[in-house]
Amino acid sequence: MSTRWYPIYQKGGPQLRVFLPNFWMKLVKPTQDQPPNIVQFACSMEMTKHDVKNYLEKIYNIKCVDVRTRIHMPKTRRDPGKGYVIKDEDTKYAYVTMPKEESFKFPDLFETETKEKIVEDHDKAMKQAKEGFQDFLKKNKDRANMPGWFTI
Amino acid sequence: MRNLINLFSKIALNSPRVVSYNNSLRSISTTTVRNDLMEFFDDPKNWGAEEVKSGRSWKKDELRIKSNTDLHKLWYVLLKERNMLLTMEQESKDQARLFPSPERLDKVEDSMENLEAVVRERNTAYHKLETGETGERPGRMEVGPLGIRYYYKMSEYPIPKHMNKKWQEKYKFYKYDKDVEAFLLKYREKLYLSKRKAQRRNFNHVIGLMNRFPNMDMEAVKEQYPDVDIEKAKSSRKYKGHFLPK
Repeated sequence: MSTRWYPIYQKGGPQLRVFLPNFWMKLVKPTQDQPPNIVQFACSMEMTKHDVKNYLEKIYNIKCVDVRTRIHMPKTRRDPGKGYVIKDEDTKYAYVTMPKEESFKFPDLFETETKEKIVEDHDKAMKQAKEGFQDFLKKNKDRANMPGWFTI
Repeated sequence: MRNLINLFSKIALNSPRVVSYNNSLRSISTTTVRNDLMEFFDDPKNWGAEEVKSGRSWKKDELRIKSNTDLHKLWYVLLKERNMLLTMEQESKDQARLFPSPERLDKVEDSMENLEAVVRERNTAYHKLETGETGERPGRMEVGPLGIRYYYKMSEYPIPKHMNKKWQEKYKFYKYDKDVEAFLLKYREKLYLSKRKAQRRNFNHVIGLMNRFPNMDMEAVKEQYPDVDIEKAKSSRKYKGHFLPK
């Protein structure tokens, strides 16, 4: 289903069809270690277990043996500036069990930052800043001692 | 949205359509379907990239010339794309790394909104033709328990109103109440005062503008501040300024 408005189902009525479902699901890195055939998703708060199962099977063609869901309530904390109590939004997580023979490992999307990479990035940023300063000097060649905000 | 259900089941199924598009139209192009969990991730060559190039979102005019089945297919393409982008965004956030080209999410969402609007247009057209009504969810203006008007969205119930205790508990409408009347008096006064304040502020602002920019285009001012009487502003003593008339 989706968050849209449906007619009420009464016994004997036609089966409700879902067109243009607007639910979202995102695959997240499991917070706890899981068996290889269990995948963790964050999903729309309105989704039920049946919705998750149907969503994955019909749209993504992924077989689900079992679905369990929980709603995660983040901890309250103090706002760093104002000091009042704040809390992030709740998230619904779905733990989807795939058939025994299937396995999924969350891929490494970002290679670990090596020392050379960090140095390279730093050099790049420095080079960019230097070029920007040279541009600035070039632009203000004919008007020395003008304040920085003065420009045309 | 139940109406979509009607529309698709009636139009999409009953019309065997042969539509040929010429090449100048934008056609739906998708990558090969992978049909596994890797569909939740971007192309591996975009992992860790600083920028991912993407086109613009779908416009309403482009979607209007598509068939219902095409729109239906496109919806799922967009849905999967959004899920993919949400997954990538979440992982980037968790790893405290850069999520390349976040405007892609906005583009997808914009496309989805446009697509839904086009489907809704077709739906209302179909319903108006067949039933004379829009087919949208009905509703009416109601006065809430605090005397404030709001749009009440109607829906279907299995039992009538006078038997539906839950409905009666949830929806309370306004009945005469002394305290509510007293509240409304003050509430309306507040609204009136804020309105008058805004009027006065605009009036003074226009005078300030006229003092600073004597050769201003008054037509533009009239258009931007329709509630300001320009003649009255000109005769105000603030307009003349603190100097001797020539």
